[in-house]
Parts: sequence; structure tokens; C-alpha cells
Amino acid sequence: MTKLVHIEIDGLSVEAPEGANLLQVARNNGIDIPGLCYHRKLTPTGACRLCVVKIDGQQGLSMSCSLTVKDGMKVISFDEEIEENRRRTLDYLLAEHNEESDNTFSDEMAVLVNRYGLDKKENRRFGSLLQNLNAPIDSSSPVLTYDASKCIKCFRCIKACAEVQGKNILSFADRGISKYIVAGYGVWRESECDGCGECIQLCPTGAIVEKQHRNTIQLDKIEKKVITTCPYCGVGCQLELLIQDGKIVRSNGVEGVLPNDGRLCVKGRFGYEYAESKSRLTTPLIRKNGEFVESSWDEALELIANKFNEIKLRDGKNALAGYSSAKCSNEDNYLFQKFIRLAFENNNVDYCTRLCHASTVTAMLKAMGDGAGSNSIQDFETTDCLFVIGNNIIETHPVTATYIKRGHNRGQKIIVVDPRWTPLVKYADIWLQPKLGTDVALLNGLMHIIIREGWIDKNFIEERIERGFEAFDELKAVTDGYSPEETEKITSVPQDKLFEAARIYANAPTAMIATGMGMSQQTVGTNNVFSLLNMCFITGQIGRERCGINPPRGQNNVQGATDVGASPINYPGYIPVINDENRRRMSALWNVEYEKLDPKPGLTTIEIMQAIHHGSVKALYIMGENPVVTDPNQNHTIEALENIEFLVVQDVFPTETSKYAHVVLPASSLFEKDGTVANSDRRVLRLRKAVEMPGQAREDWKIILDIAEKMGVNIGSYANAEDIFTEIAQATLIFGGIDYSRIDHEGIQWPCPDKNHPGTATLFLDKFNTPTGRAKLHPVEYINQKERASEKYPFIMNSGRILNQFHSATLSRKNEALNVYGNESYVLIHPDDAAKLSIKDGLRVVVESVRGQLETAARVVDEVAPGELFMPWHFSESPVNALTRDELDPMSKIAPFKYSAVNIRVK
Amino acid sequence: MIQETKIGLARLGKIDPENINDAIALGAYDGLKIALSLNPDEILVRYESSGLRGRGGAGFPTGLKQKFTSQSCAECQKYVVCNADEGEPGTFKDRTIMQNDPHLLIEGMLIAAYTIGASKGFIYIRGEYNLSIHRIRKAIADASSNGFLGSNILGSDFSFELELRLGAGSYLCGEELTLLESLEGKRGYPRIKPPFPAEKGLWGNPTLINNVETFVQLPAILINGLDWYTALGTSESKGTKIFTISGRVNRPGFYEVEMGTTLRQLIEVLAGGMKDGYSFAGALLGGAAGTFVDASLLDTPMAYETLKAIGATMGSGAIIVLDNTTDKIDFLQNILEFFKHESCGKCVPCRIGTTLLSEMASQLKTNPEILQKMIDEASYMARTSLCPLGQSPVLPLKSFERYFATAITNV
Ligand SMILES: Cc1cc2nc3c(=O)[nH]c(=O)nc-3n(C[C@H](O)[C@H](O)[C@H](O)COP(=O)(O)O)c2cc1C
Ligand code: SF4
Ligand code: SF4
Ligand code: SF4
Ligand code: FES
Repeated sequence: MTKLVHIEIDGLSVEAPEGANLLQVARNNGIDIPGLCYHRKLTPTGACRLCVVKIDGQQGLSMSCSLTVKDGMKVISFDEEIEENRRRTLDYLLAEHNEESDNTFSDEMAVLVNRYGLDKKENRRFGSLLQNLNAPIDSSSPVLTYDASKCIKCFRCIKACAEVQGKNILSFADRGISKYIVAGYGVWRESECDGCGECIQLCPTGAIVEKQHRNTIQLDKIEKKVITTCPYCGVGCQLELLIQDGKIVRSNGVEGVLPNDGRLCVKGRFGYEYAESKSRLTTPLIRKNGEFVESSWDEALELIANKFNEIKLRDGKNALAGYSSAKCSNEDNYLFQKFIRLAFENNNVDYCTRLCHASTVTAMLKAMGDGAGSNSIQDFETTDCLFVIGNNIIETHPVTATYIKRGHNRGQKIIVVDPRWTPLVKYADIWLQPKLGTDVALLNGLMHIIIREGWIDKNFIEERIERGFEAFDELKAVTDGYSPEETEKITSVPQDKLFEAARIYANAPTAMIATGMGMSQQTVGTNNVFSLLNMCFITGQIGRERCGINPPRGQNNVQGATDVGASPINYPGYIPVINDENRRRMSALWNVEYEKLDPKPGLTTIEIMQAIHHGSVKALYIMGENPVVTDPNQNHTIEALENIEFLVVQDVFPTETSKYAHVVLPASSLFEKDGTVANSDRRVLRLRKAVEMPGQAREDWKIILDIAEKMGVNIGSYANAEDIFTEIAQATLIFGGIDYSRIDHEGIQWPCPDKNHPGTATLFLDKFNTPTGRAKLHPVEYINQKERASEKYPFIMNSGRILNQFHSATLSRKNEALNVYGNESYVLIHPDDAAKLSIKDGLRVVVESVRGQLETAARVVDEVAPGELFMPWHFSESPVNALTRDELDPMSKIAPFKYSAVNIRVK
Repeated sequence: MIQETKIGLARLGKIDPENINDAIALGAYDGLKIALSLNPDEILVRYESSGLRGRGGAGFPTGLKQKFTSQSCAECQKYVVCNADEGEPGTFKDRTIMQNDPHLLIEGMLIAAYTIGASKGFIYIRGEYNLSIHRIRKAIADASSNGFLGSNILGSDFSFELELRLGAGSYLCGEELTLLESLEGKRGYPRIKPPFPAEKGLWGNPTLINNVETFVQLPAILINGLDWYTALGTSESKGTKIFTISGRVNRPGFYEVEMGTTLRQLIEVLAGGMKDGYSFAGALLGGAAGTFVDASLLDTPMAYETLKAIGATMGSGAIIVLDNTTDKIDFLQNILEFFKHESCGKCVPCRIGTTLLSEMASQLKTNPEILQKMIDEASYMARTSLCPLGQSPVLPLKSFERYFATAITNV
């Protein structure tokens, strides 16, 4: 706890933590000292000189933003002289300032100008110098414009970019009164700016403004501001949406609230346009004679209910299955799984988590009893060492990455393990570049060194691992076989780097792991994560604050969907369906006979698709998923869907998958409904309705209820999303203490078992969630991949995501501002390989595997190793999943998206 | 008859500056040897009692600065930085020292480093000083190969590495906190003070930063003893000071004299008086950030306390002599243009104030009353500016008004 000190400001006695910023303390206590260059999130700059005060015992004036409070400090913040100095400073500023306003931005300077009476020209002492200054305008950025004539040179944008977002792109060009902001070497568009817009948000005068809705926004016509959760990735950033004429016209980060404290990435700030896209689904569609025909809700629901009932009656309940959605709310997902279990009477419900972190969750559940990230997003800044493996975190979790970059600035050690260069390598102390698919060998090799050097945590092994050193010796027997020489042979990582990485991780006072899809999306995904956990356990880098393992989640509700039971094996709150007691508990809560609940685990995502192929599943209900693009072995998926008897797709847009549907239902986007989601650090966050749904679109949970009703199945009655949440909290013990009022201002991290519980920032502090309360080691051997590079398919294809697009791009590609940053597929190929094949940068190429082929453009870069290729998978016209296979990891049923043998040739 | 007393320039002309053996033969590194035989705390006491004050302009007691840095943080890496940016107009003393006796600077820095417990040092030198750069480089190499730099210097436990870094031609980069930013590879903007460099300097570590001329006073104090040193100068200004005299005098140049030598002695005796046909009309002491004096003050001893008493400054030791043909208003305007040009623009009062002052100066000839307004603005700038640059224009302006007010009314 920081010490509290007492100070006096203008006679008012004030208490504050020692070392707090004086200006902030004053403002927190309602003393409105002016100041334009200071911002809560930034280091003090001392540029505007408006925050002058007098400090008892010190000569002259001091800047309150540049002082920290000390016990007994006496401050005068308002007197005639101080105010006169402030007026003068503003008067000076006006001499170089363009005061015009188009009423699209809030202007902190204008507010002060009025406050000091300088809006009256006769109170000003100088004429304008502007005409001599040649203030430039830079409108080259796709998302923003900078106008130097409105710039007061306060440094806030520079620091927003450097200190908050860790990008360091902005600076001043020139000196003195003629200086102005430049991005990179001078032209915004050509700089490394990726459009997060932090500078826009922190600019006090509208010198940097966004382009989006420039000609629409009128601040006095904003009808409301709505705070909600970003619909894209699993960071769960809190947005404040400005609504004008029923439309979203601006998105800002919410300051002072976790997880993002005002920060956003380009998607959260500019990616809201899809909501009002012309191509939204607005009415139910029924396929008649091969054509989609608009229909009424009644007709569509009737048809769906009849077909579901008919197939269930004819082929048995196991002929039905559903895909739930990580893009839908907890309330939607909860009702969806309840629907499947009560209306389909089986457990055939899964969603795309199976395709991203199923292996991670499987391994974590087995080893620790919880499948969620153990730490808070802010811990990414404060941990001493970060081990990032198979995770391009700067692009996939941009706001989490801002915390990492801040950590880096304060001396955090960063270890990156990735077969491919990622932007985080720029910040890393060490980068290990193993060959694709050799992770287990690499991790065993690291453990070999850790054990040999005695860097293990003996206490942890004895006290917190099941069977202590007995289990450890079994692990050691396995890792003994991975000497540095052997490990280098398999992974091609040099031994000195292995040693360095092992040393840094094992000996850091605190260390956290961020694991990603590079680890999980393999046929040995579960083993990969076991191995990672083994390393984490024997070094004792878990079970304390700022230590642990985290699999950041790709979509905004991947975490929540599983939490609330969108799972073939678990009911809400991770309680297995095969357990009798659990069935009794759920049947009581749902008020149905216990027998109605199927004790048999259901099919997983890809198993469902395979079952459709075999003909055992005949009807599929898809809510907000796009398996044609997201599932492996695309041709196989399409074959299945072409032949399925009855397919219902409920979505906000027509998708590659809805083409094959028999009925398409128009659903609501996340901007159009109330509800909750759970983000990557288990924080349950509110979604709030900001705009109306288009046409006849309906909330997803309402559609589910409608179908159930028509089928004659009672799955409960709810007036609104909050009603559903109340039931979720009863069903899901880890959500037990959460309700809408408690998370109105800021989300709560589960587990939160009761109303007085504050939520849990770090998991496993006292015990693990296994029956014994201890962690379990799972020694694993490296196994060679079944799929190998061959003469015919000599390359290994890796795949992944990029910053400005999202998932199957159904949403993100509907935003101009996101597309300008990259809307085309490409394949990365090493210059040596490219030279051998006469592939030049930009050339069209064909990539083919035994399963399918695609066409894309070559990018010749050394970001990939020779013999390996990489493609972003967002672009359905060049579908990477045409190449991938559906051979599954036996334990988690995840597919190996990161490893396909392919050939590449000039088209 | 006034004579020069030489400490910083003692070996000037007597050695080949590029030959370390020449310098050693005349006592170079003797002070270091004495230092290494003493306990750092003992040395600290000596420098504190020596009365030596910084020669970079502000005149801060050097021993005190060493003590603060030394005591600031026991486990931290500490640095010694030499400010050789010498950007003050009319000043060229540091260049003279570095060109003629580079080993003396290195020795001074070594002693300072040993005293405060630093193992790494930087010389931040003005980029245009080609000859000095060349000679310092050579001297660092020679000192290293002779065991004066590097690990276990002269067989002791003391190790010290020294690097030369070139400045990029901004006046402001001579300001110590801006200099540190620049050394860290950042743009030259001043930092907020406090913390002072002694507490958080280079990369946040305790840093002793002194001017070239300050460092070169250190060896002699150990070699010749405190009694000898404190006998030089006046009650509050000890040792010697190099003054650089420019203008229409017969022998413009540098002169190292005891503190307390009068302006008249410097100009009329050492610099040989005014050139034929010119008469003394005043002087600007201490460079652009300095103060004007007129003939009535010629007998003022050049010492911190006596200058202060008449509202003048020692500054860097620059003496720019004005004569009967100097257009004083043009001269003032040049100074204000200089500030406008060198203002980094970080803070509002200086960024805009220096522009306003130079605009107003252009009206001085037609509108003499504006001088009052200029002083008023400059005083406001002095109260509110972030760094000493913006606080400085008031110095020449006020002293201009005091001594040369008639210059304007007579236009
Ligand atoms: C605008 C400005 C320019 C300065 N330029 C120099 C300079 O070129 N050389 C120097 O030694 N000190 C310069 N100073 C003074 C330094 O900030 C600092 O006081 C000095 O390096 C301290 O060394 P000392 O204690 O040995 O005098 C400058 C100060 C200001 C405000
Ligand atoms: S653009 Fe805005 S934030 Fe940046 S320096 Fe100018 S006024 Fe400040
Ligand atoms: S996409 Fe993710 S990082 Fe970007 S604003 Fe949305 S939640 Fe935040
Ligand atoms: S006083 Fe002048 S030089 Fe110093 S910080 Fe302010 S603008 Fe820059
Ligand atoms: S807020 Fe303190 S100087 Fe700007």
C-alpha cells in the first residue's frame, strides 16, 4: 500500500497517495487547475505552462503537473497573479492558433479561452502570427487529418503514440514556433501508423481528427453516448459510441476503465461501419427451387421447427447439431446450448473455440483444472519476463500488446518463440525461430537446460505439483533425451539461444507465458501446451501474482461462450455432462426431467462436419459462424454442406456458409443488443444496445426462443437479456456473484462466486482447480508430423491473422477504414526459395496441397524461414483452408491449421 | 601589472597536444595518481572546501554537485558527462583547452569519476569543433593504451570508460538536461527539473555534468593543495577563469586570469585596449544569455559576488565589447533573433514569447516605448518558461534598458 500524505491546496486539506501528481490530485478534489499538455495517462510534459501554482517555501511559480505531492505541502493554485499568468499564456497561445471549429471535436483550449475571457477580442494583446507560420496540413493518412494551425504543440499525441501505444511514430519537425507534428519521416500514410487513433483521442484541440464521418458529426446533435464492448478481438476493449441520427458516428476508448483504459486498435476505433452496411441481412430467406426468397418470420420459423422435429422423429435426436458463436453474447450462447440440450436433446453444441484454443483449454483443464488465462491484461506490463510463443500478439491482441510495450520500456525481458518474424521481435530480448511443428522438442530442450542448471523451483515442485519429485523425475526422464545438441538438430534453434531463453525465463522474479494458435492449432496441440505447462510448473512461474499462462482469445466472446456452456462436454461453468450429479443440478435449474439430459458428450465442431459427411447428422443450426472459411479442408466442408438435408444459418451478413443454407435468419450485431461477454482475462463485460437493428433483424437470443416455441419446447421465458443473465449466474458458479448492476461501470473477473466477492485477478494463488488442488505434470515426447514436406509438396504452410482484418472477415471487410490497411491475400515466401522458383514480389502464384488449391500474390520477405510459407486466412477468395487438413489432435479435436504440406508455383 | 595565471591553459604552447608523452613529462595525470592514493570521501571534502564553482555559466559549487551525485544512489551505475557544447555566442574557451591540452580534460574527468564512483563517461562536444574532436579522440586512444582509461587504471580497482559524442548544432543542447536527452539519442528538448542530473540523469542514473573548464580545474587542486588554490581569486570566487574577449580591441582572444581581475584590466591591459579610432561603449558579459554593462562598471572585479552585486553575470566568460560605432538596437535585435531561432518551442511562453520579442524589437527604432513592454513580456517568460533559455531574454533586455536607454531615444 502506498502511504497517504496530507497537503493543502488553497486552504483545503487534501489526502493523496505519496508521489501522486499534484495537478491530478487537485483535479480529483474538484480544484480545476487549467492545463492542456497534461494527461492522466502520460508522463508530465510541462509544455503549456497553464497549470502554474505557488508552493509554500519555494520561490516563484511552479508547474503543478510537474510536481508530486509531499506531506505537508501547501499549494496556492488560484490568486490574482497566478490567474494573470495563465491568461497571458493563453493569450500567447492564441497568437499562433487557428480557432476555427467545425463542431466535430471537443476543444479543451476553447473552453479555457472562454473561461479567461479571451473569447472577447478586445481582451487579447497580440495580433495573430498565423499567416507567417505556414502551418502544414497532412491528410495523407487513411483515417485521420493533422492540421498544424490548430496544434498547440502539447506533445500529447506524441506521447499517446509512444507511451500509451508503444509505437513511437510521431515527433516534431522544425524548431520553435514553426514546429509541427510529423509521422515517421514526414508523410503519415508512409509511416508505420496503423490507425489506432490514440492521438486523436488525446489531442486537446482537434488538430488531429478522424476522417470517418467528418462531414456528418455535429457534436450538438449527438443524441446519446453508449458504452459497450468492442465486437472484435478478445481483449474486450470498452468503447464509447457517439450516436447521431440513430447511427454510430464515432468510437472512443473509455478512459479509466479496464481492460483498455481508453486504448483501442484500428478495429475498435474505425470498424463500426459494418453495422449500417447495405449488405446486412434484413429479412428471413428461404431457399425455394435453389433461389433465396424473402419470407416472413412466421413462415421461416415454422419451416425450421417442422424440419427439426421431423428429422428428430425420423432419424433420432443425434441427427441434429448446432454451432454456437464466439461473436455472440453470453446470453445468446447460454440460450443456444440450453436449446440444443433441451430441444435437440443431445450435447451436439460446439463453436469455433474448437478451432483455436481447444487444445490449450484441454491441456490446461487437465493440468490445472481451469482453461482460462491466469492473469489480468495489465499484468502484461508489470511482469518481469514475458514468454510469447506462437502468438503474433501485436497484431492479434493489439491493446494487450500496448501493455507489453510499456513493460518493455521499463525493462521487462521478452522472449519470442515463433517460426515466423512477428512485430514483437522488435521489442524482444531474444527470438527463437524453431522449425514449424517442433515445439515439444524445443520446450523439452529448454527444460533439459533448466533442470541441468538447477533453475527449477524445488518448493513449488514439492508443495504444488501432484506427486512432487516423483512426477518431476518422470518428466526428467523424458527431457533427458533433449540435450541442447539434439534440440538444435530437431528445431534448428542454436544452443546458445536455447540457453539464454531458459536462463531468462526460469530465473526471472516473475514470468508470464502468452501462448497462441501457433501452439494450439496442430495435431499435437494438446501436447504442445502440456509441455509449456511442464516448463511453467517446474520453474514455479505460476501461482503467484504476475506469473502464469495466458491464451489470449481471438474473438470477443470465445471465453464467455465456453464459460456459459457452449460445449459438447460441459454444462455452464465447466461441469461435465457425463457426471450424474451435474445432470441433476441442471435439470433442477431448468425444470426438466433428469432423463431428458443426454449423459453422452456431444460432437465437436469438426466431428459435426464429418458426421454430416457420413450422413449421420442431417440438420445443422449455425448461429454466427462461417465454417466454410474457418474450418479445415474446405472442399470437404463444402461437400458436407451441399449434401446436408437441412441447414439454418443465422447471421448478420450473407456468408460463404449461408450460400448452402435452406433458411437464413437475419440476426443482430453486437452494436444492437444488450448482454455480456467475457474477455481474455475472464472479465465479464457489458454489451449495450447502441443502434436499432436493420429491417426485421432480431436479437439472436430471441430467435432461439422463437424456434424453441415453434418446436413446442419450453426453454424458459425471458423479457430481456438481463433475465437470461440472472439464470446464467445461477447455472454458472464462477459467475455466481455477478449481475448487471455490479458490472455497470467496470467488468468483474471470474471466478466471482458471490455478491461480496470482488472477482479474481490471478488464478491459482492458493491452489489449483484440480481435485487434489495441485498441478499435474504431463511429460510428452516430440513426435514427427504425419504430414511431411514431400517432393510434390515441398513447403510447409503456416497461417494466421493480421491487425486490420478479423476472423473470416465477414465484419471487418465491411469497413473502408480497415480495408485501406490491407484487403488482399498474400503468401510470404523466403527470398532464397523465391529465387529458386523465379517468384518475384507481387507475382500471382498458385498454392496447392493434396486437398485443394488457391491463388494469391507472393510477398518475398525473410520473415519466414526457407522451406516455410505463411498466409493470412481472412480472405475467402484465397481460402487457406482449401489447403489444410482435418486430421485432428486426438485429445482436443483441434485441426492443424498451422501445418500443411504445399507446393507453390507461378500462375 | 596584471598577468595571466594559468591552470586550464598551463601547458598551452609547451607541448604537442597530440603527444601524450609531452603532456606526461609536464605533469599530466599526476593529479590522477594523487587521487587514486586517496579515499573518494577525502577528495570530496577537498573539492567542497576549494570553493570551485561551475564554469559553464550557472556557477554552481562543484564540490556540492559531486557530493550529491556521489551520495545519490549507492547501487546505481553513475556517469560523468562533460559539457563541451560551447554554444554561447562569443565563447571559445573550451575549444582552446581541448585543442591545446586534451589530456588535462581527461584527467579532470577521471578524478571526478573516481570521486563520485562513476565507471563511464561521455564528452558531448560541439559538432563543428573538428580539431578538438580529432585531438580528444587521439587523446582518449593514447590514454587508454597508456593505462589511464579502461579497467584497473594504473593498477587500482578503479575503471573508467570514456566516449566522445558529437552535438548536432543546437544551442539548447548545451543546457544540461537537454544535453542528456540528446546523449540518449532523443530529440533535444529540456526535461522537467527536478529531478536534477545528480539524482536522475543519463538513462535515469545519477550523473555528474560539468563544463570543460570546470573539470580542468580539478587536477591542480590536488597537486598544489587547497591552500594554494584558495589563495587564488576572491572570497567567494576561487581559482582562475578564462575570459574570451571579442570586439574592436587590439588583442581579441582568450585570457586565463585569477578570479577578481577587473574588466578594465582585461580589456585595457590584456586585450590591449580599444583599436585606434574606437572607443569603449559597453560590453555584453556572458553571451546572449548575459548582461550589458557600460563604461561606469569597468572597474568591477570579475567575480561571482561582485558581478551579482551590480546585477550582472559571469556566464560563460564571454566579453563582447561594444564600441562607438555599434548600433546597439541592432545588436539587441540580433540577440533576440538568436533566442527565437534557438527556442526549441516546447513551452508556450518561450516559443511564442521569443517570436513576439523579435517582432517588437523591429519596432524599437520607431517606437522606443515598446522596450518597457518587451521587458514586461520577458519577465513573464522568465517566470513561466520551462528551461533557462526562455528565462534568459530578460537579462540582456533589462540591462540594456538600464545602461543604454538613451540609445533608443536618440535614434
Ligand atoms: C540554453 C543553455 C545553453 C547552455 N550551453 C552550455 C554550454 O554550451 N556549455 C556548458 O558548459 N554549459 C552550458 N549551459 C549550462 C549547463 O546547463 C550547465 O549548467 C553546465 O553544464 C553545468 O556545468 P558546470 O557546473 O561545470 O558549470 C547552458 C545552459 C543553457 C540554459
Ligand atoms: S496535434 Fe494535438 S495532441 Fe498533438 S501536439 Fe498538436 S495539439 Fe497536441
Ligand atoms: S479489436 Fe481487440 S484490441 Fe482492438 S479495440 Fe477491439 S477489443 Fe480492443
Ligand atoms: S524555455 Fe524555450 S528552449 Fe526552454 S523549453 Fe521552453 S521553449 Fe524550449
Ligand atoms: S499542464 Fe502543466 S505545463 Fe501543461
